[in-house]
Amino acid sequence: MRLTFNGGPREHDPGPDDTAADVIRTVFGATGTKVACGAGVCGACTILVDGEPKASCLLPAAHLDGAEVTTVEGVGGDHPVQRAFVECDALQCGFCTPGFVTEAVAFHDRWRKDREGTPSREEVADALTGHLCRCGAYENILTAVRQACSGVFDDREPVPARVEAPAKVTGTAEYTVDVTLPGMLHGVIVRSRLPHARVTVELPEGSVRLLDGDVVRYAGQPIAAVAAETPAQAGELAGRVTVAYEPLPSVVDPGEARRAGAPVIFPDAAAQKKAPSSAEGAGFPGRWRGNVRSGYASAWRGRTARRRLDAAEERNAPGYFAATFTTAGQSHTALEPHASVADWRADGLTLYTSTQALPHLKAAAAKRWNPPKVEVVAHHVGGGFGAKLGLGADAVAAVELSRKLGRPVRVAMSRAEELTDTGYRPGTRSELRMLGTPAGGLAAIELDVSGHGGVSTGSMVATLGLLMYGRGPRHFRDRDVVGNAPPASPFRGPGGPPFAWAVEQGVDEIAHRLGADPLRLRRTWDGNRRRRALYEIAGELPLWRDRPTTPQTGRHRRGVGAAAANWIYTADLDTKVELTVRDGRIVARTATQDIGTGVRTVIRNTVREVFPDADIVVEVGHSHAPHGPVAGGSRSTASVGPAARDAARKLAAHLGGKPVGEAEGVTVLGERPKDRRGSAVPVSMDHLRIGRGLAGAVHITEVEVDTLLGHTRVTRVWGGIAAGAIYNRAAARNQCEGGIVQGIGYALYEERLTDPRTGVVLSANLEDYRLPGVKDTPEMTIHFHEDGWDHVPGGGIGLGEVCTISVAASVGNAIFNATGFRPLDLPVRPDRLLEGMPR
Amino acid sequence: MTEYRAGGTDLMERRASGRSTGPIVDLRDRGLRSIETTEKGGFRIGAMVTVDTLATDPRLRAAYPALALTAGALATPQIRRAATLGGVLLQRTRCRYYRNEHYECLKTGGEGCPARGNPGERAVVLDLGPCVAPHPSSVAMALLTYDAVAEIEERPARPVAGLYGDGARDHLLDASDLLTAVTLPPPVDGERAGYGRATGRASAEWPLAEAVAHLTVRDGVIVRAGVAVGGVAAVPLRLPGVEAALTGGAPSEGLFARAARLDWSPAFPETAYKIPMTATLIGDVLAQAL
Repeated sequence: MRLTFNGGPREHDPGPDDTAADVIRTVFGATGTKVACGAGVCGACTILVDGEPKASCLLPAAHLDGAEVTTVEGVGGDHPVQRAFVECDALQCGFCTPGFVTEAVAFHDRWRKDREGTPSREEVADALTGHLCRCGAYENILTAVRQACSGVFDDREPVPARVEAPAKVTGTAEYTVDVTLPGMLHGVIVRSRLPHARVTVELPEGSVRLLDGDVVRYAGQPIAAVAAETPAQAGELAGRVTVAYEPLPSVVDPGEARRAGAPVIFPDAAAQKKAPSSAEGAGFPGRWRGNVRSGYASAWRGRTARRRLDAAEERNAPGYFAATFTTAGQSHTALEPHASVADWRADGLTLYTSTQALPHLKAAAAKRWNPPKVEVVAHHVGGGFGAKLGLGADAVAAVELSRKLGRPVRVAMSRAEELTDTGYRPGTRSELRMLGTPAGGLAAIELDVSGHGGVSTGSMVATLGLLMYGRGPRHFRDRDVVGNAPPASPFRGPGGPPFAWAVEQGVDEIAHRLGADPLRLRRTWDGNRRRRALYEIAGELPLWRDRPTTPQTGRHRRGVGAAAANWIYTADLDTKVELTVRDGRIVARTATQDIGTGVRTVIRNTVREVFPDADIVVEVGHSHAPHGPVAGGSRSTASVGPAARDAARKLAAHLGGKPVGEAEGVTVLGERPKDRRGSAVPVSMDHLRIGRGLAGAVHITEVEVDTLLGHTRVTRVWGGIAAGAIYNRAAARNQCEGGIVQGIGYALYEERLTDPRTGVVLSANLEDYRLPGVKDTPEMTIHFHEDGWDHVPGGGIGLGEVCTISVAASVGNAIFNATGFRPLDLPVRPDRLLEGMPR
Repeated sequence: MTEYRAGGTDLMERRASGRSTGPIVDLRDRGLRSIETTEKGGFRIGAMVTVDTLATDPRLRAAYPALALTAGALATPQIRRAATLGGVLLQRTRCRYYRNEHYECLKTGGEGCPARGNPGERAVVLDLGPCVAPHPSSVAMALLTYDAVAEIEERPARPVAGLYGDGARDHLLDASDLLTAVTLPPPVDGERAGYGRATGRASAEWPLAEAVAHLTVRDGVIVRAGVAVGGVAAVPLRLPGVEAALTGGAPSEGLFARAARLDWSPAFPETAYKIPMTATLIGDVLAQAL
């Protein structure tokens, strides 16, 4: 076929099954076009064919014959849409950005030809339907497209809201899936087809074994990996791995797994030790009984709590509430899949990998394989959300294969693999009992939570209750119910959203029963002064003051709900930021990675405060730099910010007032100063230090419910965040909006489904695993309460987790306010709403 | 088994997942893209006409508003620009089990229906057996209300309704049959239409249930009504009983509510909610069509 590709002639003879995306990425080498869902759902692969946006992952390559094809690279870099994306911060991780940009360019060019003025939010959203942004940057995307259409970027260069924005809007930002090394092979993973079996594996040449032992415990568990010259050949080779299965009794559904007589998945202490953990860090100790692993109770006057609750139940006390809440598993499904390219050579290993834990992986790879040296590289990371904290099967397979075959090997997960076996927020079942008094505070609370994380343990939900609502008597217990399903993993604020789903609805219900204002009740119960400040502000919002207070009867009902959250403050006190003056510019380096949070910009802004006129370059994403933080536990900002400031001050001291250019070659190393008056825990675990104080959030959410079709639309959300001083206002707001969008997904759409008989994950594509889209995005207002963190150098901490935790609960409370139906089960699907609503 | 490829929006995904493995005959250069008027005064729409054109072509919007509204509401702008009339009529089921390479069922050449034991809230209300997944074609549903006819190469034409018929197959054509066009009878002056779907998200989602209606009112009386629903059975479903209850009546909320009553009994408790939901949608689209 012949076509015009980004302005030049091309010829290529595609195979019948080749997609346009395949040919563009691998034959034409234009990797700006990203493939995420492979099913025409997410739009990351959008290209222009004769000016029309098309999903290139479904477009037969043969259909490009004779066409004029434009990809994000062909848009150039100065298009008003690209300028607007750069200045309006219309991106986070950037993996979906080329698709959005390409679609928006077509919309913009059509608009400018036919119309004048600014298109409405609705018109732009309609055009962008069919694009998914897992980070949830929709609000800024809508703003950017509207501004571009209005013409304000026609004649001026944008001021980038974040350092790497120009690379992300032009498709030049290199992600792991874009890395191609000379002589590179393609690896695929062979996985168990059964949920529980003893296996005998025969490996063909060029393959490696991944399974430890001879028992598989879930469908999708990695058994082996093979590599070949092309992905298709690797697929054929994978078919030659013979796995003989001797089926073992299995149990998938947690309800069945906890019954007496269910097949036991980890029968003895040795097997139990092998159970993977979904916890960040060590997890809690526990005792096994069958498939149930119970933690020890975390209690404060626990017996008093239970006695009061029993008595309140007995006498039907007005402030007593008991209910069982459930949540579905939530898949991270970052749009860049887990992917690794391993290059094993005699002098050491280079591992390109999509990770949020570059420094940790360097240590883990060194320990596991002991090569002469290790470097880990992740220039851009297409989202993580907690799923990319460890050495995943992709990395292990790539390294093992490269070591064995002596060539670089790429292993990238398919979307089905990504949605099956890269972790998820465990599903939960929470038994809640609460007793509140209008004036006296929270009299007692008991929460017993079972986590459903497949073969993994480590769900920690109830225990978070030790951090909330004062010092009333309380009794908390966490358990895991294991089953033959893939393991869970940490997910943005692990345990927080299911905790809030139960407890924040409990608070709301008690307020309702006592006839109290839910925000005032919280202010009475909550000792945390930062969150109390947020309650004060929220209580004065028209959104809150004008909430419906009497039952409604119409078909469409409006409701407003509030929920609160808190989260621990952590930092990596070992963080170093190095500044070097090179070619008259200040080059900042640290071994961290940017998963879309804008950590480069935090460093740049901090250095710029000391050197307002200097040209500052930030280099992250390579492990050879001085130690930097893992992007987990909301620790990055409070780690790199103070270290960068320290470095900048050292450089300024060195210069003694001379211009930067006179210090060519000078290098200083900034350290992360300790907090004033120390930390909450005096030692670091794996570089993670828990500091003093809790970050706070309050969400006020408005919904509109169609009570006949069961449809819930979130219309407005106010998010109040108490995380101290904000380093980068645009990126912080963007992230808080993304936290709201993800929380809406958790509340209404996202549901990991596993077949109870076969253990196969059914929500294995982005059509069946439903992410919130641009039209599900409410109007959002983010308020930062910046006081109260003076003990932290720089005065501010991270907010990536606290900003999402209470969202789903606020949606639940808003639905209750609108309909009188208290949703107990997540997600609140239309069928559940229709079945549950009072008639 | 050879398969025809039109826009590829369904087939390419099945190629990637291994559901389709036989040779492909690509229709890109076969034409079939014209929209012509017929001798009788209706329209003949080529099978390769895109869904986007069905939604936006001014002639079709004026002549068959129920078809245009339906086409404009499905999937995403990108899919609508690629998907074709023939393709959406003959697309394969969206069943989670069918789309998952771990399973075999009667539609993959195997036996039985693995979804029957775990139907979920998306399954059918009316059980034609053995498949429990609703038919995915919104456009077919709309065409039913117009008594549209499908032209098939080297075979007699048949009503679009005759493309479907049981719960075992997504359509009744043989693999070698090529659907070339759909013809519609002459449009009726003054017809108005409505389309609605129930979804979880705001857009870009397969419906839990959907409904389409067109009404022609003369002198305060409904002289013609077309009503069909989707998401409830293994075939797109026209509702002649509802149409009959409307025809001859004076349009009013009361008439619509009476006509939209559905005396169905649900095949699964999980999908019982779809019955009142579908009735609501029918009432909604009738109100729109007024």
